[in-house]
Amino acid sequence: MKQVLEGSHAVSEAVRLARVQVVSAYPITPQTHIVEAISEHCSSGRLAARFMCVESEHSAMASVIGAASGGVRTFTATSGQGLAYMHELLHWASGARLPIVMAEVNRALAPGWNIWVDQTDSLSQRDTGWIQFYCEDGQEVFDTTLMAYRLAEEINLPIMVILDAFFLSHTYEPVDIPDQELVDRFVPPMEPKIRLDTADPHALGQMVPPGAYMEMRYDIQQAMERVPFLYRQMEGIFAELFGRAYGDVEAVQCDDADIVLVVSGTATGTCRQALSDLRSQGQKVGMLKIKMFRPFPDESIRRALNGAAKIAVVDRNCSFGAGGIFAQEIRSTLCNLENGPPVFSYIAGLGGRDITVDTLEEIYYRTKALEQPDMQSVWIGLEPET
Amino acid sequence: MAGKIEKDREGRLHISRSSISSRINKTGSWRYLKPVYAGRTAPCSAACPAGEDVPHIEHLASQGQFRGALDTILKENPFPAVCGHVCFHPCESACNRSCLDAPLAINAIERFVGCSDTEEKMLPLIQTVPPNGRRVAVIGSGPSGLSAAYFFCRLGYRCDVYESEKEPGGLLRWGIPSYRLPAAILKHEIKRIENLGAQIYCGRKVSASFLRTAEERYHAIFIGCGLARPIRMQIAGDVQALDGLTFLKDIRNGNRGAFSGVSAIIGGGNAAIDVARSLVRLGSHPIILYRRRVEDMPAFELEIGMAQQEGVDIRELTTPVRMDKSARGIALRLQKMATDGFETDSGRARVIPIRGERETLPVQQVFTAIGAEAENPWQQPKNGSGSILHLSHCTLTTVGFPIARGGDLVNQVLSVSDAVASGKQAAMAIDSYFQGGWASVEKRLADCRVGQGPALSLESYLMNDVSHQRHPQLVGYHDINTAYFLPADRAEPMVAGPKERRASFSEYRSDFTTRSAADEAGRCFNCGICNDCDNCRLFCPETAVSVEDTRRIDMDYCKGCGVCVVECPRGAMTMEEAEHETGS
Repeated sequence: MKQVLEGSHAVSEAVRLARVQVVSAYPITPQTHIVEAISEHCSSGRLAARFMCVESEHSAMASVIGAASGGVRTFTATSGQGLAYMHELLHWASGARLPIVMAEVNRALAPGWNIWVDQTDSLSQRDTGWIQFYCEDGQEVFDTTLMAYRLAEEINLPIMVILDAFFLSHTYEPVDIPDQELVDRFVPPMEPKIRLDTADPHALGQMVPPGAYMEMRYDIQQAMERVPFLYRQMEGIFAELFGRAYGDVEAVQCDDADIVLVVSGTATGTCRQALSDLRSQGQKVGMLKIKMFRPFPDESIRRALNGAAKIAVVDRNCSFGAGGIFAQEIRSTLCNLENGPPVFSYIAGLGGRDITVDTLEEIYYRTKALEQPDMQSVWIGLEPET
Repeated sequence: MAGKIEKDREGRLHISRSSISSRINKTGSWRYLKPVYAGRTAPCSAACPAGEDVPHIEHLASQGQFRGALDTILKENPFPAVCGHVCFHPCESACNRSCLDAPLAINAIERFVGCSDTEEKMLPLIQTVPPNGRRVAVIGSGPSGLSAAYFFCRLGYRCDVYESEKEPGGLLRWGIPSYRLPAAILKHEIKRIENLGAQIYCGRKVSASFLRTAEERYHAIFIGCGLARPIRMQIAGDVQALDGLTFLKDIRNGNRGAFSGVSAIIGGGNAAIDVARSLVRLGSHPIILYRRRVEDMPAFELEIGMAQQEGVDIRELTTPVRMDKSARGIALRLQKMATDGFETDSGRARVIPIRGERETLPVQQVFTAIGAEAENPWQQPKNGSGSILHLSHCTLTTVGFPIARGGDLVNQVLSVSDAVASGKQAAMAIDSYFQGGWASVEKRLADCRVGQGPALSLESYLMNDVSHQRHPQLVGYHDINTAYFLPADRAEPMVAGPKERRASFSEYRSDFTTRSAADEAGRCFNCGICNDCDNCRLFCPETAVSVEDTRRIDMDYCKGCGVCVVECPRGAMTMEEAEHETGS
């Protein structure tokens, strides 16, 4: 049934329908609406879950790690500084192969204190072994959260479902919420592969010497490499049940495009409009939306971009000293291709600054005008210095 | 710490999972400090002249175990109901809770607990020593004498109490007005002491010759006959002044005169206040005249406040210089005084007369309540004869056999609870003397101090082992973890308004209900004692704390991190330097 829902409540509804068993969280703008709603569901009994209030995000992740080690379905949510606070435990969750699902609302890192959209927070955790999905709208957030549980419990890797601060978390859109029975068919009760059992006691996460550690890490990488295939399979089942699918990337009008704009998050929606405008101006432009960032979907990206003359990557983030992160990863994917297209890297929309249709058109025309990309990422939309 | 690492290849999951217990790592070896369940002394207990174990009393009361609370009081004080009525509660001034919101209403709770014991044939379930065949004579059945009899009986002595009046109790019966302490309450608590075996002989005034022959029949004597001779003003015309203590005794004897008009009361102690407040109830308008300032008055502040509310005027820095008969009564000539900035030898503000500042106050009658002294010389210890030991609340002499003097005869603070302390200290001192000789007395008593003293614990004395000694260190507010206490209002039983109070000699304080007594007792921090809140066990990062019949720390794993000590809400634990020990 279609409901008009705030993006954060698209998450909380999915968590409720997925019959999550333990939730632990610490509030932070703009994720708080997610866990507030969940706490109300727990309190009213609508969701039969234990809600553990903790004093920090580090403890929230510690709590869900503990609960997941006990073999139950878990959830937490965070944003910005909160995600940074749980950093060391993000490594732990993946190393321990726990199927935790977390909603991550992309928010700028301080200082300056800024609660609006910026992707640097989630991207600076890209090495932690978590699967990362970037969502464009409320429906995608809902669907991705459900899919995350099924995927995480299949592959035993934790998953971040990522949504833009305010532009997605606080925007109301129509979201189709299916019945519980239908969700139960897609997300059955958890059958944990890891479960602490007092009848058969063991210790988890103990010392592993050089002779054994590398194999554990190789196993994680192997699991990541299986994800694109598993994800595709799973989306097939999802599409059958719910009538929707997204792909690890979405290529729009890339087949005959000279220039492909690469975007993620809510900027994707704006880009669809820019595409339409540019095409009506006769421009041969395409768009590649990146949904799955970890594992990085090399094959899908190469396939979508190989034919283009130029790639313009729009990064709503920056790795200082290196530039836009999506751009780096795309360059890395394309670098061994014979005659691969040059990658133009743009940084825009940090700290909630708007990425408008005009912004994207500026990026397009600038890319069109230049032969070669700059070595450094180009920052779009900066206020002129006075 | 390499255990066997199992590769859990189920579903191709490669995780580290081991079967070796982490308990092979004895983290106790890291320790250089260790936690101890210290059992430090609460400041209220140390402030109580009787050394009552207040935290335990409050803990029991908070759980509705009023019988247990009563027994705990009776271990150190035979007069819970009496003290609950008349004590000036130094415990409340010392209460750590006052730093958070308001001190605990310890006095009102003691009153409730004391009055909750209504059994006729009650025998306290408290420790006594089997009879030792020795007999003690107690002179005076005031609070010090009765207290001495109580503690002597518990220590196995046969006690005979000699009382000059027709009923026992001393000032409790014949001084303090009934609106502060009804006779029935006192009678009930005296019965308890008699049930322990003390024999009280009334109408038997003791003379000097008694002392001379006492050695034949008794092994020791306690003299607690108080200060029976009122001090006179020694000004012209002072024969017209009525004695305040006699006046109070008459009222307690049932002889209430009619006193109209203005009454002047000379004095600033509790007796002066008692006289004034009694006069209010008899229809007179009392004016207290005190030579120093109100803040210098030795009377309890609460009593001063009550008196002023009831219409008693207090004029400070005024002293009488002569009394003359007048048409309507007495013309009282007064001299105005002023402080000169110096102190007397006893530490009080020194006052000097202001030249030329005199006035005449016409009054109906004048009462003096400026103190009293011992009636007979033998009541005071004589220097130079035999050995003499000045303890905080009694003086011990041996001329052949031990004689202790206590109560108002020797005490610095003239109060009921200090009198109780005298009786206890004397009994313990004399018993120590019999057990270990004169030289052993001070040390033996010092081992029984509550905190730094001067209060002593009989329980410590009876137990006579280190584990039952009261810790010399006090718990301060900084030892309390206030995160575990929410501010809460202090509950107090209602006090009738001044108009109601003036109308009669009835009690004007209502009592706690059972519920409100328990609730108020629940505000107690229980400083220094473990009340099984379980914080230490819950917070220990090594799960090294276990509870069987007592709490124990597994020293194989205790790293000495100190979290338990910080999280103990009531300072019942301390950190000490540690040697390397393992095991529990």
